[in-house]
Amino acid sequence: MLTYLYAIGRVPLEPPDRPGVDAEPPRVIVEDGFAAVVGSVAPARFDEAALAHDLEDLRRVEELARAHHRLVAALPGDGPVAPVRLATIYRDDDGVRRLLRERATELGALLDRLGTCREWGVKMWSPPRPAADAQPVPADAERPGTSYLMRRRAARDADAHRRAQGTELAEHVHRTLSRLAVAARRLAPQDAVLSGRTEEMLLNTTYLVRREDEAAFTAAVAGAGASGAEIVRTGPWPPFSFATVDDP
Amino acid sequence: MPELPRRIEAEPDTVARDLGRLVLTIVELLRQLMERQALRRVEAGDLSDETVERLGLGLMRLEEAMAELREHFGLRPEDLNIDLGPLGKLL
Repeated sequence: MLTYLYAIGRVPLEPPDRPGVDAEPPRVIVEDGFAAVVGSVAPARFDEAALAHDLEDLRRVEELARAHHRLVAALPGDGPVAPVRLATIYRDDDGVRRLLRERATELGALLDRLGTCREWGVKMWSPPRPAADAQPVPADAERPGTSYLMRRRAARDADAHRRAQGTELAEHVHRTLSRLAVAARRLAPQDAVLSGRTEEMLLNTTYLVRREDEAAFTAAVAGAGASGAEIVRTGPWPPFSFATVDDP
Repeated sequence: MPELPRRIEAEPDTVARDLGRLVLTIVELLRQLMERQALRRVEAGDLSDETVERLGLGLMRLEEAMAELREHFGLRPEDLNIDLGPLGKLL
């Protein structure tokens, strides 16, 4: 059996009551004051060749990611826990013990920084375009071509104005939220196909927030929504974006 | 996640529509570029009123013609676009 690593925290850490990526019951390996949440997975499905093959299959990746996330999300939140990235696998438990021993300093610093912070995602879209029939320039029967051009110019300027306002609003919201967060990461705007929205995505960020600042953070998100832009908060998540412990 | 088609089906109906869509997308791109250029020249103020009127009329007719062609192929305005992946949308 191989050892699949989910997350690292400090002792005491109870394994969550959820099946892992191979439907296995998770366990905890303790070493040097650290506790690693792991599962024993079958080499037939999780050795290098099997993984390389499976990671080509979107459906399989989704399954894997969901199981991984479900387990990590079920970890107790009363101490710092650093989730490890998807499909981090060791030959045996000793490999994990070695990691905990050899990377003790970095792991300690990471867990200190994380504290009991949780991750919150924020997505914002520009307000819907106003109805196109609002024509500020009246049509002129004498010069229809000129008035057409003037209408197009007004539409172009309104568009540019709307876009500039959207960017400014997004920057303002991001600054406000960043002040309430320990760390922030901006992600690339999501494709409209994924988000199912036609409006332009202004903000796609994730914030690491202390428990005691969560109320203020939530209020700030709600306040930003009052501006007319559509804003969505997701979470709380385990600090996936801020706590990836890479392989040594 | 929907499966991508293994190959483009060469049904006569859809081929005409898809080709129409591609051609119209390119014409629409040119139309928008021309319109932007026209607006810049108007704003620069070096065109006579007659020229502005002619330009405007031409662009207006072009837009009307595009609307008719779209209708002919059963396309919505938002269909005339190409997703360039990381570069965003063409239009």
